[in-house]
Amino acid sequence: MSAGLATPVPSGRAADESAPSRIAVRRLDFYYGDAHALKGIELDFRDRHVTALIGPSGCGKSTLLRCFNRIYSLYPDQRATGEINIDGRNILSDDVDVNELRARIGMVFQKPTPFPMSIYDNVAFGMRLNERLSRADTDARVESALRKAALWDEVKDKLARSGTGLSGGQQQRLCIARAVAQNPEVILFDEPTSALDPISTGKIEELIEQLRSEFTIAIVTHNMQQAARISQYTAFMYLGEVVEFGPTGGIFMNPAKKQTHDYVTGRFG
Amino acid sequence: MSAIATSEKVMAHHEAGRARISHGGFDRAFRAASLGCALLVLLVLVGILGATLWGGWPAFREFGILGFITGTRWNVGAEQFGAWPAIAGTLASAAIALVAGVPISLGISVFLTQLARGWMRRPIATAVELLAAVPSIIYGMWGLFVFAPLVAAFVQVPLNAVVEGLPLVGTLLYSRVPSGTGIFTAGIILALMIIPFIASVTRDMLDQIPPVLRESAFGIGCTTWEVVRHVLLPHAGVSIIGAVMLGLGRALGETMAVTFVIGNANRLSPSIFDPGSTIASRIANEFNEAAGLQLSALSALGCILFLVTFAVLILARLLIARVKRI
Repeated sequence: MSAGLATPVPSGRAADESAPSRIAVRRLDFYYGDAHALKGIELDFRDRHVTALIGPSGCGKSTLLRCFNRIYSLYPDQRATGEINIDGRNILSDDVDVNELRARIGMVFQKPTPFPMSIYDNVAFGMRLNERLSRADTDARVESALRKAALWDEVKDKLARSGTGLSGGQQQRLCIARAVAQNPEVILFDEPTSALDPISTGKIEELIEQLRSEFTIAIVTHNMQQAARISQYTAFMYLGEVVEFGPTGGIFMNPAKKQTHDYVTGRFG
Repeated sequence: MSAIATSEKVMAHHEAGRARISHGGFDRAFRAASLGCALLVLLVLVGILGATLWGGWPAFREFGILGFITGTRWNVGAEQFGAWPAIAGTLASAAIALVAGVPISLGISVFLTQLARGWMRRPIATAVELLAAVPSIIYGMWGLFVFAPLVAAFVQVPLNAVVEGLPLVGTLLYSRVPSGTGIFTAGIILALMIIPFIASVTRDMLDQIPPVLRESAFGIGCTTWEVVRHVLLPHAGVSIIGAVMLGLGRALGETMAVTFVIGNANRLSPSIFDPGSTIASRIANEFNEAAGLQLSALSALGCILFLVTFAVLILARLLIARVKRI
C-alpha cells in the first residue's frame, strides 16, 4: 500500500441530488440477543445510485445490509426495531411476506454461493419459484441476466454444467446474475469481492457500475478505494452508528467529522 | 575464540541429540506395540472371513457357490441347503427399513438443523441418540409383544380385506396368517433401529453446510422447504446416500430384534406380511443344534452376510469421504 495514506479519489459518476430515496431507514435499532448492534440509524438510499457502507470491522455495516431483506430473521435471537421503508412500505412490519420481500431484494454475499445445480438452473431457480414462465421466456430471462452479469460469453456453451465448477470470479458473477434475474428493485452486496483476485474484483466493480443504471445498490466494503471508485454516496459507520453520510466525493475529499477523516486516510480501522 | 566456543556448543548439542536418539529403543517398542494393536483388528477381520469361509466350504462345495446362493430349499432333514430365502428376507427387511426409516431420518435432521429453536434442539437430538442406545433385545421384545399384535390388528386384517383376490398386490400384501410377525414387521423394527444412525450422520452433514449458502437460498425468496429440497439436500448429496448405507449395513446384520419378530419361516413367501427369515436370524435360530452339513451351510451364510455388509460399509465410507473433500 504505497498510496496508503493518500486519500482515494472518487472516480465514479457524480451523485444526483434530485434522485428520489428508494430505501429510507428511520430510527433503526438492531440487537443480537442483548448486544445492541445498530443504534438509531437514519439513512436514505437513492434510486439508481450505489451507496457504500464503510467502517471498521464490527461497526454494523453488514448488519444494516442484512436488515433490508430481513435475512437476520433466520436467527431467532436477532431482531430489528424502527422502520425501513422501501418504496414507502415499512418492510420491518409483521404483515410483510418475507419470501416475497426477498424476491424483490437481491443479495450477493462475501463468498460466491452457487447452488448445487447447473449454471442455467442457478439463474432460473429464483424466477421459477416466484413466477410462471414459459420455456422461451425463461431462456430469454436467463440469457439477459447472464449478459447483465457479464458472464454470458463465458458460459453460453456450457449452461448445463454445474455452477460449482466455475472459477471464483465467475461464480460470483453467476450469483449476481441469479440476483438480477429476479428483476429486483434493490441489490445488496456484502463485501462481494473480498474472496476474489484483483482481476475478478475489477470485473465485479465494472459490473456494479453498469447495474446501477437499473437497480438501487447498497454495498458493504472493507476496501475504501473500492467505495470511492464505485459509489455515489457513502455512509461511514462506527460502533453501530452512522458517523457521516453524504456524496462519496465529500466523504473522501472533505469529511466533516474527524473520525471520518482518520478512517478514510487510513489512520485507524 | 568465540567461534570455537560456538562450534563446541554445537558439538555438545549434537552429542545430546545422539544421546536422545539412543533412547529410541523405547520409541521403537512403543511403535511396535501400537502397530500390533492396529494389526490385531486386521487379523481378526481376516480371521473371521477365513473361518466362515473355511467352515462354509463343505456347503459351497456340495451345492456350488452359485447353487448355494440361489437355492430356495432349506430342509435340514433332507440335508438340502439353499441360501436364497434367507438372503431375500435379509434384503427385503432391510429395504423396508430404508423405505420407512430414511424419510423419517431426513425429517429429523432437517428439523434439528433448520427449524428447531434452540431449547428444542437439545432434547430431541438426545432422544434420537438414546434410540440408538436401546438394546436390540428390547426392540425384539417390544416388537413381538406390543408392535406385532398392533400390526396384525390394524394393518394385516384391514389390508387383507382390501387386497384379497387382486392381482399383484393380492400376493404381495396378503397375509395368509395375520399374526403380526413377518418380514414387514421386522423391517419396521429395523427402521426404528437405523433411524438414529442415519439421522445423526445427516444432521452433521447439514450442519457442515456453510450458513452463507443457506442464507443466499433464503435470500432469493425460497421457503424453508425449497431451500432444503433444492439447495441443502443436493449439496449434502452423496454423503446422505453414504449415511443411508451406514444404516443399511446395520439393518443387514441385525439379529436379535429380527429373530423375535420375523416369524422364522424357512420358505420364501411372495408376501411381505408372511413370516420369513434373514441370514442373521437363521443362524441365531439353528446354530445351537446344527452339525455336519447344516453347520457348514450356516457358516457359509455367515460368510455371505459378512461380505455383503462389508461391501455396503466400504461403499458408505467412500461416499461420505467424497463429499467431505469438496
